[in-house]
Amino acid sequence: MHILEVNNLKKVYTTRFGSHKVQALSNVSFSVEKGEYVAIMGESGSGKTTLLNILAALDKPTSGEVLLNGKNLAEISEREISAFRRDNLGFVFQDFNLLDTFSIQDNIFLPLVLAGESHLEMNKRLLPIARQLGITPIINKYPYEVSGGEKQRAAVARALITRPQLVLADEPTGALDSKATASLLRLFTEINEQGQTILMVTHSTQAAAHAKRVLFIKDGEVFHQLYKTSLSTEEMYQKISDTLTTIATGGERHA
Amino acid sequence: MPRFFYQKLALNNLKKNSQTYRAYLLTCIGTICMYFIMHAISVNEALNQMSGGTELKVLLFFGVIVIAIFSTIFLLYTNSFLIKRRKKEFGLFNILGMEKRHLAKIMFWETLFIALLGLTVGIISGMILSKLMFLVLLKLIAFNVPLAFEIPFSSISTSVALFGGIFALSLFYNLGQIQLAKPIELLRSEQMGEREPKTKWLLILIGAISLGAGYYIALITESPLQAFSRFFLAVLLVMVGTYSLFTAGSVGILKLLRSNKEFYYQPRHFTAISGLLFRMKQNAVGLANICILSTAVLVTLSTTFALYVGVEDQLRNRFPRSIEIKVYDVENVDVGTIRSQAFSILEQHDLQPQESVDFRDLTITVAQEGDSFLVGREYFSDFSPNVGFLSFLNLADYQRIVNKPLSLEEDEIILCSDNSYPYETLTVLERTFTVKDHSAPFTGHLDSFNNYSVIVKDLEILEELRQAQAKVYGESASSFTHYLGFELDSSPKQELEIYEEMRASIGAPPISIKSRAAERDSFYMLYGGLFFIGIFLGTLFVMGTVLIIYYKQITEGYDDQKRFAIMQQVGMGQEEVKKTIRSQVLMVFFLPLVTAGIHILFAFKMITRLLMVFNLTNVQLFAWCCLGTFVVFALFYGLVYSLTARVYYKIVSV
Ligand SMILES: Nc1ncnc2c1ncn2[C@@H]1O[C@H](COP(=O)(O)OP(=O)(O)O)[C@@H](O)[C@H]1O
Ligand SMILES: [Mg+2]
Repeated sequence: MHILEVNNLKKVYTTRFGSHKVQALSNVSFSVEKGEYVAIMGESGSGKTTLLNILAALDKPTSGEVLLNGKNLAEISEREISAFRRDNLGFVFQDFNLLDTFSIQDNIFLPLVLAGESHLEMNKRLLPIARQLGITPIINKYPYEVSGGEKQRAAVARALITRPQLVLADEPTGALDSKATASLLRLFTEINEQGQTILMVTHSTQAAAHAKRVLFIKDGEVFHQLYKTSLSTEEMYQKISDTLTTIATGGERHA
Repeated sequence: MPRFFYQKLALNNLKKNSQTYRAYLLTCIGTICMYFIMHAISVNEALNQMSGGTELKVLLFFGVIVIAIFSTIFLLYTNSFLIKRRKKEFGLFNILGMEKRHLAKIMFWETLFIALLGLTVGIISGMILSKLMFLVLLKLIAFNVPLAFEIPFSSISTSVALFGGIFALSLFYNLGQIQLAKPIELLRSEQMGEREPKTKWLLILIGAISLGAGYYIALITESPLQAFSRFFLAVLLVMVGTYSLFTAGSVGILKLLRSNKEFYYQPRHFTAISGLLFRMKQNAVGLANICILSTAVLVTLSTTFALYVGVEDQLRNRFPRSIEIKVYDVENVDVGTIRSQAFSILEQHDLQPQESVDFRDLTITVAQEGDSFLVGREYFSDFSPNVGFLSFLNLADYQRIVNKPLSLEEDEIILCSDNSYPYETLTVLERTFTVKDHSAPFTGHLDSFNNYSVIVKDLEILEELRQAQAKVYGESASSFTHYLGFELDSSPKQELEIYEEMRASIGAPPISIKSRAAERDSFYMLYGGLFFIGIFLGTLFVMGTVLIIYYKQITEGYDDQKRFAIMQQVGMGQEEVKKTIRSQVLMVFFLPLVTAGIHILFAFKMITRLLMVFNLTNVQLFAWCCLGTFVVFALFYGLVYSLTARVYYKIVSV
């Protein structure tokens, strides 16, 4: 069974005055297997964030459906949705979205506290994650005291600590310098190798080259996809660049 | 550049920021209007025509000064808040290529527009309302002669000068803010200052001690004069305590709660504690301000209200009889002649003296220490809390007054006082008397606080006491006086006529005559005037409180907007988020009100003692006034809360 299945997703934004409509997604379908590391690429404004918000049940599609572990998101009631999100999904955002009133540790604990976990259990889960992400030394600091790369690793820790079915990442390297980017991407690969399913949207070729599979969206549809299989990251990078050039020059679609 | 470029831009900015500027403009108008009214009344020619008008003017002038000071503080505070919110906007202009001198021009025009609008509307509404307020004042001071009220030009000019100055000051402050900052800082300035607050143990200690000391002083103060001299110390201590406990104490408690892991890591406590921790850091001073202002409003309104409502009580306490005649030189004046002259004047008016009281007494200034009364200048300064008078009279006079056969030994006395005198003996001028009766129902010629009427066996003892105190006081020693007082069953107008006639025929030194009716006007003048000012200052303080609350809500709204969104992404439900925020806001909001209530409770006793200085002894009346003001204020506060909370939710749930 697919862990995630997206069928004919369509999203039309109606502006405040209703006169103007923006079609962010027109017809998106794809699926993700357990243990996969999928990157979704597209230019800015191509609807990547919109897609992710719908997958996270933070937004509703105009039409189409999203199945997570076979469960249709549309069937989950408003009251259950927060708990569902907390238990099944982990998020990593471009601008980290850490709460400035919490220390790094408490930021990471936040979803567990909301789930009513005991303090003992929280600590037990935190230790290995913090060690792997290399944030043990900064665990008691506040977000304003640490670098962007550290903030993003803290955000990853927060996403992982609930042991989610699926980690969703929206341009996770968007606000990082090249060194922090490289280290975060290495981390994603590592986590994925340990069995974590990851879905990342990005417009960075470097980021996408680390994924096992890359989907390209354009004009609100999945336009093309590439498998990494046995390619090295460098070769994958080259392949993605070529594909992007083809798309930009108006090539045929091979979805 | 197009014509009126800066002017148009300035207007546009104001419109864009109308949510925050509307409140500012309203405050400007409100304070200007109030200042104008108070000033116009205080300098008005019409008041010169009434007796006691000059004193009233002094009182009102004091009101003008207080309004001026608080207007300055409120407006500068509000302005600093506004400019902080807008630094980002100016940073953006700056980055888009506008130079700082261009920004300065825009700011100049913005300030000018606000100033013009505020002054025009404020002064015009002041002109309209001052006439009405003048009538209210006349009503309060029970002055029934219609007076012409003209708006003095100086009110306009001083209003323009004062508030023009405040606007100029605001502008300079804002220019300084812009000038000092680099554009990047301007863009970022709102996000700065999110450091975790530190626990300042020393400040907590200082705060706890000050507050404790302030409360302690308020509780142990028994005598009115003590209350008078200690009141400001107590107020100061409580203020220091409030500020330090709001800032440091709140952080300390929250951190303590946070260090209890089992407690802290529960869904409801987790967000609330950390949220409050940061919120207190940013808002503690604002909350302490609200608390102090609320307390000030409550004290000002309840006391002036109580003094005004109890004015007849005070008059009766101060002047227990309609007419009081005192003869100071009993050796050379024949009291009998004076009495018959006074009574014949009554006869001409077809009146009989009622409850007439007639006695000779010796009044000595003393400093009370337990059951011993010290005589001598070295024992007291003017403001010593234990200074009072002992009025000695002999048993024969007393028996006649109370119309009862009584007997006393050489060393026995009867003590008449409102204050309960707990001791069995009374020592004065090296004589110790046994108190036979502690609370005889008799009002002598003194008002009731710190003073006692003492009945001794006979004239010999009186004479001995007189000689003993003459040795101590020398030149300024007291001698016997004769007191004649009676109630009249007549209209106040007739009472006044009688008083004037008596003054003309017998009222020359060494004889003094006092009439309650004649004093009534000055009482109403004073307490009516005080109440009037109390209402004004109360309104002003309430306005300040509302303003701070409103801006705090907005600031917090913008801060919480992002937090609200993140928490939902991490898996907090809409309802939970709302609940958390509501409980936090509620707590922050009502903390100052509750604290103000506690302050008032502790201050209550001390204030009742203070009111005794003004001859207001009706504690129950004051309690009702306090409760009434508190309830009205709390209702108003709650109303403001619900109104601003709505603004807050609108911002947060974007
Ligand atoms: N809340 C919204 N209301 C209206 N239009 C929106 C909204 N969010 C996004 N859009 C529009 O939908 C399109 C896709 O946006 P987005 O999903 O943010 O793209 P990406 O993340 O790929 O840059 C854009 O044209 C954007 O302007
Ligand atoms: Mg995006």
